[in-house]
Amino acid sequence: MASAGDDFSQFNISVEEKDKLVSEVIRYILFKTHQNSGCPIKRDDLTLLITKSYRQRALPAYVINEAKDKLSTLFGYEVRELQRARPSSTTQARNSQPSVADAKSFVLISKLPAEVYRNYVEDVNSTHLTGFTFVVLSIVHLAGGKIPEENLWHHLRRLGLSETEEGHPVFGDVKQTLETLVQQRYLQKDKASVPEGNALFYELAERALDEPVSVKIKEYISQVLIELIGS
Amino acid sequence: MMGLCWKHHALIQALLTRGPLPEKEFHKIFTGVTGKNPGSNQQYFNEYLLKINKELSLVQFELRGCRNQYDGQICYGFINIVSDDQSKLGTNYSLPQIAFFKGIIEEIVRDGSAEGSISCLNALNIRLDNQAVTGTGSRSLGSQSQSQGSPLRVPPAFRNFSLSQKEKTLHELVRDKWLCYTQDSNIGLGVRSFLDLRSWFRSADVPSCEVCNEAGIKAQTCQNEGCAVRIHQYCQKKKFSKRGVEKVCPSCGTRWLYPSPQVETTEEDDELNEPSQTQPLPPSTQSQSPQRLKRKRLATNVADIVGCSSSQASLHASDMRRTRSSARQR
Repeated sequence: MASAGDDFSQFNISVEEKDKLVSEVIRYILFKTHQNSGCPIKRDDLTLLITKSYRQRALPAYVINEAKDKLSTLFGYEVRELQRARPSSTTQARNSQPSVADAKSFVLISKLPAEVYRNYVEDVNSTHLTGFTFVVLSIVHLAGGKIPEENLWHHLRRLGLSETEEGHPVFGDVKQTLETLVQQRYLQKDKASVPEGNALFYELAERALDEPVSVKIKEYISQVLIELIGS
Repeated sequence: MMGLCWKHHALIQALLTRGPLPEKEFHKIFTGVTGKNPGSNQQYFNEYLLKINKELSLVQFELRGCRNQYDGQICYGFINIVSDDQSKLGTNYSLPQIAFFKGIIEEIVRDGSAEGSISCLNALNIRLDNQAVTGTGSRSLGSQSQSQGSPLRVPPAFRNFSLSQKEKTLHELVRDKWLCYTQDSNIGLGVRSFLDLRSWFRSADVPSCEVCNEAGIKAQTCQNEGCAVRIHQYCQKKKFSKRGVEKVCPSCGTRWLYPSPQVETTEEDDELNEPSQTQPLPPSTQSQSPQRLKRKRLATNVADIVGCSSSQASLHASDMRRTRSSARQR
C-alpha cells in the first residue's frame, strides 16, 4: 500500500519499534486464543498493548491492521472482527443510559480450503465440540434465533445429552459445554419475564450471526429438509 | 513480501492446532499438501522448513524437530523462542502446577544413570517448597515461565497443593505432552519438553550425548563408573553399527556394551500415545495405559533376550540393565 508508508512516518517511531509492536500483538492473539480455547479477544486489550508504551492516537489501528495482515500472510489465519450487535436484555436492564459503543472483538479463522483443513489441520480430539456447536446453532436457528432454555434441553435430550449429566463419555459436563458456546460468543443468554416468572433464553450471538457461519448453517438445514421432504 | 502460500499455512496450522506431531504424521501432511515425499526429497523438505522459520522469526517462533529420547522417533513442533508477557498467557497451568512440573523434570534429569524417568510415586512426592525458594534461579521454561521475583516464603498455594491436585496435574501434563508414561510405568519427559526446553537443559548442566550433542536424558552411560560419557540408544546404533568401529567409550576407552539388552520397541510407544490422544476426557486412562504397557513389555522381554545367558529372562528390563554389569563381571 503506497499510503502505508506515508501514514507510518507520522508516528515518529522507528521501523524496529513498529515491528516489535506488531510481533507482540500477533503473539498476544495466538497465545490468548490458545489459552481461552477460541473465545474472542477484545479489541480493547490489543489497543492497551500499544497504548501502554506509545501515545500516538492512530498507532493502535495501524499496528492492529499490520498484525492482521501478517497473520494472514504468515499463518493463513483471518482475523475476523465481530461486533456485539444486540446487547442482551440483562445488560440493558442494568444500564440506565444507552449502551456505549459495542465492544469489538476478534476471532481467528483459518483461511485454508475446507478439504485441506479437514484432512491435515483438524484436531480429532475436538471434532465432537464442532459437531455440538453446529447442532445447537441449527436448533436455535430453526427456533427463530431465540429459544427458551427448557426447549433447547428438550431437543438435546433427544440426542442423549442431559443437562444434569456431568459424566458424559464424550462431553463430560454437558451443561459446561453449552456454557462454552456462550463464552465463545456463539450464543448469548437472556433473561426475559414471562407470566410464570423469569425464563432464560438462548439467542444467537455475533459469532453465529457472522455471515460465513450463518450461511453454512442455513445450507445445512436446507439440505436436511430436502432429504426429509424429498423422501 | 515474499510470503508463504497455503501449503506452508497448512503445515503451520496443523502443528499449532494439533500440537507436536511425530515424523510420520508430519511427513504425511507434507506429502499431501505439496505432493512430494520428504523421504525422497530431503532437500526440498528442509528448504520448505527453512523458509517457514525465516518468516516466523519475526514473531519469535520456530518450527523445530527433535528426537523423543524414549523411542528415538523424530517429532516436529512449534516452539516459542522468547519468554515475554504474551507467552505467559499461553499457558493454562497455574503457578503451583508449573512449579510441580519443574520439580519433576529436575528430578528426572538429576538421575546419574540417565534412566530418564522417575516412578509415579516419586513424582507425586515432589515438594513444591524448593521451587518457590529457587524461583527465578533457573531460566524460564519456554512458554511456561515462573513468575518474577523469588519469594522467600512459600506461598500457601504451593504448600496446599494436594495429592489429588498433583495427580490431576500429572495427567494433564501427559495429555499435553510435557511428560509421558514410559514403558515401565514411570514418568518421563514428553516431546514438548524435548522441543521446548533445550536451552533449559543446557543451563541445568545436563550432560550431552557424545554423538548428537543433545541433552542425554535417557541414554546409555559408560560402563566405567568414573566416566561421564552418555550416548543415546539411537545414536549408539548410528555410531557402533558401522564396520570397523571399535565398540569402546570415546572418552575413557572402556568397552561399550552394544547391542544393549534393552530392546527398542517403537510400536508399543506409538500405542502409548494413542489412548491419551483419542480420548478427550479420560480420568480412567491414567490407570489404563501403564497397565496395558506392562503386559506388552513382559511379553516382549520373554521373546527377545539378546546376549543374556542367565535365566533372568522374565525380569523387568530395568532390572536386567542393573544386573548386566554384574553378569559381565563373572
